[in-house]
Amino acid sequence: MQFLDKSIQEIHDALKKKEISPKDLVEEAFERIEKSKNLNGYITLNKEEALKQAEALEQKDAGDNLLFGLPIAVKDNILTKGLRTTCASHILDNFIPIYDATIVEKIKANDMIIIGKTNMDEFAMGSSSRTSYFGAPKNPWNHNKISGGSSGGSATTIAARDVLFALGTDTGGSIRQPASYTGIVGMKPTYGRVSRYGIVAFASSLDQAGPMTRNVYENALLLNVIAGMDDKDLTSADKEQEDFTRKIGKDIKGMKIALPNYFRSDIVSEEIRKEVENTKKILESSGATVDYVDMKYLDKAVTLYQIIAMGEASSNLARFDGIRYGYTKENPKDIEDLYLETRKNGFGKEVKRRIMVGSYLLSGDNAKIYYNKALSIRDDMKKEFDRIFKEYDLIIGSTTTTTAYDLTDPMDDPSKSFMDDVLVIPVNMAGLPGLSLPIGFGKGHMPIGLHIIGNSFDEATIYQLAGFLEKKLNLNLDSRKGEENV
Amino acid sequence: MSNYLPTIGIEVHCELKTKTKIFSNSINGYGQMANSLTNVVDLGYPGTLPTLNKEVINLAIKAALVLNCKIRRQMHFDRKNYFYPDNPKNYQITQAETPIGYDGYVEIEVNGKKKKIEIEEMHIEEDTCKSTHRGDKTLLDFNRAGVPLIEIVTKPCMESGEEAKLYLEKLRELLFYSDVSDCKMEEGSMRADANVSIRKQESDPFGTKAEIKNIGSISNVKLSIEKEIERQAQLYDEGKTFPPQTRRFDTKLNDTVLMRVKETGNDYRYFPEPDIPFVYITDEQIDKVKKTIPMLPDARREKYISLGISEVNAKKLVGHRSLSDYLNELLEEKIDFKTAGNLLLGDISAYLNKEEKEMKDTTLTKERFMDLVNKVSDNTLTSKNVKEILDKVMTSEKSIDEITKEAGIQNITDNSAIIEMIKKVMEANPESVTDYKAGKDRAIKYLMGQVMKESKGTLNPKMAMDVLKEELNK
Repeated sequence: MQFLDKSIQEIHDALKKKEISPKDLVEEAFERIEKSKNLNGYITLNKEEALKQAEALEQKDAGDNLLFGLPIAVKDNILTKGLRTTCASHILDNFIPIYDATIVEKIKANDMIIIGKTNMDEFAMGSSSRTSYFGAPKNPWNHNKISGGSSGGSATTIAARDVLFALGTDTGGSIRQPASYTGIVGMKPTYGRVSRYGIVAFASSLDQAGPMTRNVYENALLLNVIAGMDDKDLTSADKEQEDFTRKIGKDIKGMKIALPNYFRSDIVSEEIRKEVENTKKILESSGATVDYVDMKYLDKAVTLYQIIAMGEASSNLARFDGIRYGYTKENPKDIEDLYLETRKNGFGKEVKRRIMVGSYLLSGDNAKIYYNKALSIRDDMKKEFDRIFKEYDLIIGSTTTTTAYDLTDPMDDPSKSFMDDVLVIPVNMAGLPGLSLPIGFGKGHMPIGLHIIGNSFDEATIYQLAGFLEKKLNLNLDSRKGEENV
Repeated sequence: MSNYLPTIGIEVHCELKTKTKIFSNSINGYGQMANSLTNVVDLGYPGTLPTLNKEVINLAIKAALVLNCKIRRQMHFDRKNYFYPDNPKNYQITQAETPIGYDGYVEIEVNGKKKKIEIEEMHIEEDTCKSTHRGDKTLLDFNRAGVPLIEIVTKPCMESGEEAKLYLEKLRELLFYSDVSDCKMEEGSMRADANVSIRKQESDPFGTKAEIKNIGSISNVKLSIEKEIERQAQLYDEGKTFPPQTRRFDTKLNDTVLMRVKETGNDYRYFPEPDIPFVYITDEQIDKVKKTIPMLPDARREKYISLGISEVNAKKLVGHRSLSDYLNELLEEKIDFKTAGNLLLGDISAYLNKEEKEMKDTTLTKERFMDLVNKVSDNTLTSKNVKEILDKVMTSEKSIDEITKEAGIQNITDNSAIIEMIKKVMEANPESVTDYKAGKDRAIKYLMGQVMKESKGTLNPKMAMDVLKEELNK
């Protein structure tokens, strides 16, 4: 019984014909999770509830909902009613939400079954998921390697093929970078495409949730479910509902693609540069044009990101004070003691470091010198992308500068973790959609990802190109086979 | 004590009269069970985001209009970051950089002279939750968390406690009459802080500032400012200085008390609120709001006086909103407004107070009220009659005529009948008539008494007196 290896259409048909039931799928997923337990992809499993929900679905007709009855893993900074949501932090390790995030409501309304909450960097702060209070998840392709971050657990469970669907969040690359490291497809939609309501805020002006899947089509299917305007999130955009799969399978002849020189500079490892060049050739031979372009500000993105993300984070995380929810210092001497001890014991090192830097960046005149300045350069960066998109349909580059590195690599250089995301952060700064697609393997058969950036609210064209390449490359992306190579 | 020039600035927080809170759909209410009007947004739950209540923007535009402020067309909200248990997110959403209103004024009259109290700015923000201290515990009630506020900040342009009092009275009247706020200081829906400093002469720089926080009534604002001026003057006279500080007014001591010395560089780490997009205000929106502003107090007083109501009564009417609103619906009618004003402030007010009713709880329709006014002004009914029938007038649907008849009031308004009665009295009391003609004024009072007795109180006294004089002088 290995239904979760079949195509989504095959699973759907089997469900419709009652050859299998949602419960079989849930049970299979838990068997797989049990087998890959040492990967540490999950913080909390939802077995009992998931089985109950699956049973409830037995009576229901799948209709033409391809996602009906399918298990899904949810990153642990997305609130799930009644199901512990920790943000991989000690300060929330007893926190049971009393409401569902809007996107969780949506996946439930679409009869998907939440299988568990995935591991991540604490409060999504990190790029290797090693800041998790629950220990880092491992890369299914090589258990000594990181699976990236901050959505490392979601990437791990998809790459391990425990389930077909996972939700991640991406503030500065946290969906795309782990997707690239683990050989899966990860999409960060346009800022405003997906409601942020019920997602624990890290950097409000950058955060965006998105789908992480084993292939392009399933990715677009999941985006269909979670996208849409939400009255509870004023930054969500009022866009007409669209089918993100609609361009998948279409030809790319005549498509104009830009490849910024910064994305192929020597900050990127040679093996990755080579893979991107190969992709360029494939695209050109398929009738698309790929031009090298110069883009201003790309090299400034990390600095701007640090200022904006840490500034906002220092304010967003102020609410964790031990008064209303979460970990609290018992019998504090006074209010000062409650604040200090709760936050000192509750937060991990990286989170505290970012809160402190963020607080400094916003204090006194610094807010004007740094934060407001960063916002204004960010506008310029957005304009620079707009300029490119006047001429080009898409921008490509590699998702990361290297393949996944060792779990034991030192963590003592805090700025290094930001540099892991140097190629993906500009997309968050400009609020654009971006996707990582596996395009090959580097040393030790570690996956390499192509970063495809689209114009605002043009996710469909990204999926078109990604779908085309996926088919053309036809890679074996099943890490369970890759594992044997290690 | 030497003479000093006081400089006073006032900050007022006013709760807006909206149905729901500013950033969530919880009910905006007062006096409910603790924490019954809250949801995850008000509690600052992880993952929650603010929405923006449009009613708040419209009420703030209205407030800006009645306070003669300029209105900003593009604005945003800011986060004010500080840790305090009454602050659920540990940041307050406010407007630090782009207050919706600025450069306004309120006009007051000090010792017969008009003075403009300049308003520096007016911004929108959310209220904090209410903390109650019980022994070593603090209880938090989040019903108030997220209630919309406007904060109105004057320039340091007042010179006495009296001016501050007049400003606050005027401000309260304006915001109350424009339906922006209840302005109930006792319920905390209007709260005032006063900044007080003194200096020797105008050419000197401003003196050290003391802020008196959260003063519970307008009269205490005046009193606390006066006490604070006295305290500062005494210190200066003694050659002493003092640091900038926050004080409170202690109603038992009737004096201000030190709360804390202000720390330098209080750092709120303000930055633009990323969860709420920019708000744009159009001319159309402002015009629309403008149309919802009812006649304001100054205009009402002026109008009433122009209609023959005394200045004292005009003021009293404006002090009683529901009566003033009632009267305003009759402004186009041709009635004796002096009588209308007297009735509203006299017998009708007494009735409403006694019965603890509002005008709307009575049966006194506009038509019946006008009928009553006319009958009083043309002397058909005496004030004694009005007192007799008022309960009925306020509770039954019957016409004034019917009620009068049922009460057995049959006033004689027919002149010939009155003359007849008077002649009868004069014949029966020839000495008094002679006394009157001899210039003894007392005699006419006696005769009048007899006339009223004869008529069993059915004569209008004024009318009877006129006729009596006429007959005596024949």
